[in-house]
Amino acid sequence: MSDKPACPVPTQLRLESRMEDLALVHPWVEALAEYHAIPPPTVFAINLCLEEALANVVRHGYKDTAGSAMTVAFETHGERELSFVVEDSAPHFDPTVAPMETPAVPLEEMKIGGNGILLMRKFAGSVKWEPLEHGNRLRIGFVLP
Amino acid sequence: MAMKATIEEIDGGITRLVLDGRMDIEGAQAVDLRVNVIAGSADKLLMDLSGVTFLGSMGLRSIVLPAQAIKRRGGKMVLYGPIPMVEDVLKGASIGSIIPIHHDLDSALAALRG
Repeated sequence: MSDKPACPVPTQLRLESRMEDLALVHPWVEALAEYHAIPPPTVFAINLCLEEALANVVRHGYKDTAGSAMTVAFETHGERELSFVVEDSAPHFDPTVAPMETPAVPLEEMKIGGNGILLMRKFAGSVKWEPLEHGNRLRIGFVLP
Repeated sequence: MAMKATIEEIDGGITRLVLDGRMDIEGAQAVDLRVNVIAGSADKLLMDLSGVTFLGSMGLRSIVLPAQAIKRRGGKMVLYGPIPMVEDVLKGASIGSIIPIHHDLDSALAALRG
């Protein structure tokens, strides 16, 4: 690793609490993925988890009110583990304790929405929530194959 | 690249709706209106997902809503050709067991004609 040039991609992304800003995430993830040689299925899972986590913060944490900040930080742990840390200043919400299984229901009765957190937990290697004094820290971990 | 939605009419009253691109929040917003208009008139809809490179929960909404609208009118909708990760999302949200997924075009068309 010592001969590898410093990562040219910033390791932290600062976003405003609005849906439009979520479009900035996947180009950043893809730039990180290229530099760190993260395989496509893991990149897909990262994009899915970050979209769900951040959409949840905007919609439910900040109640669709722009003007607040959220950050996503990228961390590596050794050669094969990486994580994305999402921080906000919204009221405390622990997405790791929501019910996990969606019971199979007929199409007509299927509820729209509410799949986001479930999908995040299915596609992440690990999800850890930590309350901050004024906000939340969500650490979403992935193990490279 | 913005998400694209194109349609093609196939014999037997089948509409093939081809979605291309990332079905993230932005992509779903870009095609929602068009997809809903198509779902409002098609009775047999083949939703071709083979060009969809990403699917999130907002994109799932763009699949479930038209399927519900078509079913309410007594029509049918099937999904065709999702890449493995997209199929994992469909199955992860228990949609695979509710809206049939086909990887063979002939079997998808036969399911709609049947």
